[in-house]
Amino acid sequence: MQFGIFTVGDVTPDPTTGRAPSEAERIKAMVTIALKAEEVGLDVFATGEHHNPPFVPSSPTTMLGYIAARTDRLILSTSTTLITTNDPVKIAEDFAMLQHLADGRVDLMMGRGNTGPVYPWFGQDIREGIPLAIENYHLLRRLWREDVVNWEGKFRTPLQSFTSTPRPLDGVPPFVWHGSIRSPEIAEQAAYYGDGFFANHIFWPKDHYQRLIALYRRRFEHYGHGQADQAIVGLGGQVFMRKDSQAAVREFRPYFDNAPVYGHGPSLEEFMEQTPLTVGSPQEVIEKTLTFREYFGDYQRQLFLMDHAGLPLRTVLEQLDLLGEEVVPVLRRELDALRPAHVPEAPTHASLKAAAAAAEGPSDRASHDLMQVVR
Amino acid sequence: MTSRKLVTISAGLSQPSSTRLLADQLTAAAKRMLGNQRVEAVVDIIELRDQAHDVTNKLVTGLGSPRLNETIDSVARADGLIVVSPIFNASYSGLFKSFFDVLEADSLAGKPVLIAATGGTARHSLALEHALRPMFAYLRAVVVPTAVFAAAEDWGSEGSGGLSLAKRIDRAAGELAALMHAHTFDGPADPFDGPTPFEQLLAGR
Repeated sequence: MQFGIFTVGDVTPDPTTGRAPSEAERIKAMVTIALKAEEVGLDVFATGEHHNPPFVPSSPTTMLGYIAARTDRLILSTSTTLITTNDPVKIAEDFAMLQHLADGRVDLMMGRGNTGPVYPWFGQDIREGIPLAIENYHLLRRLWREDVVNWEGKFRTPLQSFTSTPRPLDGVPPFVWHGSIRSPEIAEQAAYYGDGFFANHIFWPKDHYQRLIALYRRRFEHYGHGQADQAIVGLGGQVFMRKDSQAAVREFRPYFDNAPVYGHGPSLEEFMEQTPLTVGSPQEVIEKTLTFREYFGDYQRQLFLMDHAGLPLRTVLEQLDLLGEEVVPVLRRELDALRPAHVPEAPTHASLKAAAAAAEGPSDRASHDLMQVVR
Repeated sequence: MTSRKLVTISAGLSQPSSTRLLADQLTAAAKRMLGNQRVEAVVDIIELRDQAHDVTNKLVTGLGSPRLNETIDSVARADGLIVVSPIFNASYSGLFKSFFDVLEADSLAGKPVLIAATGGTARHSLALEHALRPMFAYLRAVVVPTAVFAAAEDWGSEGSGGLSLAKRIDRAAGELAALMHAHTFDGPADPFDGPTPFEQLLAGR
């Protein structure tokens, strides 16, 4: 089981002081938070991608490359990479480059993006969101898996004899998750390729996500990648903790009430009842997070949103200490004990490399190894 | 005896409200008319006032409360709707419009709808024709020909000139009952049950 954090990268004034960080401060804070994630024993750091204020992370692989150089263990990921408005060729190149720099500690999550104007800014049309996600991702897969690609599609200029460089590290493309809030087509896409499916989970009630994940699991089995309970599922979550739960509620409430997206809407109490948000003691976070498995089945990746709505960096780092010291070790132990042996872990570069070598067969592998030596 | 699901939506703000009074009378008339055709009406009356905060929360955050989600689902599965708004500033009330703004796209397509409204004087009655009817036409609902407007004076007098309120209610309810008798709705197809197979998505179909 992997645990980590995902960040939106919003620049939001702290509602208790009115002070907004500069873009430089926010970007450096995101890096500090990622380094802290590794220090406290988390497995994954994922950054959002946005192309409009008040968000800063427009260039995820630049940031992740920098973090890669300053970490040893952390898996670097995205939440999400815009498969609709980015050129799939550039995604193939950027993330293969990042793979090499990070020694394979890379995966990524595809998303469509729901900010209307971003589509025309990048020459696309939001009404084509699903077809763009389908066609662009299909090309991205080929660019990573075929050395020379001839391609013609509806949305991008054609390619003749194109080789995306660098080639994926060890010939193994990064593992891909598909993120979706509500589209059955994306669950179907993830299932078709045997990729991971990540349910953001934060803004909608759980019964909605139960149906979306059940669809993904059912179709994963249909397409022959394994049993439904072996599909690769990730979930979002959102927590704020203090030792004493009243103190947590008191401190977090102004951030909740003024948060982008859900602020000035339902009360904190209603939101906690209807979504995964937990504001309370570490024990309460553990209890609520353990219920996710009951609703969605054994899953492979849990990401928490920890650093938005104007929370000061110091507070976020304290939260990560609590998460790493008091919450994740317990969740890891409990969930690992509950998970049946036939349910796999989330794929990593090492596991995908081993699987590729096993699929190649012993004689092929010998010649492949020889080639490596010759090179 | 067959049955049909009738959902009535009242957007009155006071309690009790004349909007709810009109909604109840229309509902009772529709139930009676369906009964005459040996159809049992299963009725769900929704007071939007009780869900005004939930509607606003859904508008600004996208998050629907469990109760509002139930209401939205109930409307999508109805065989017919009676919708009643007070007329404010020559149009439907903001709450009335907001509720229809949070429905899923296409959830009213093909559905029989009786539109009705209340107001201080009969001078507001054409708001039904220039505000409510076009909105439901846009939503591709089938709006019955008779729209019912009740002005304050209608609750007292036995019609001055045109048909009395009671007769207009019966005529509109009869039109709705006839359409509901002819069609049933199962609600929208569940997109999680039968997804488009990926080969079709990939082929751009």
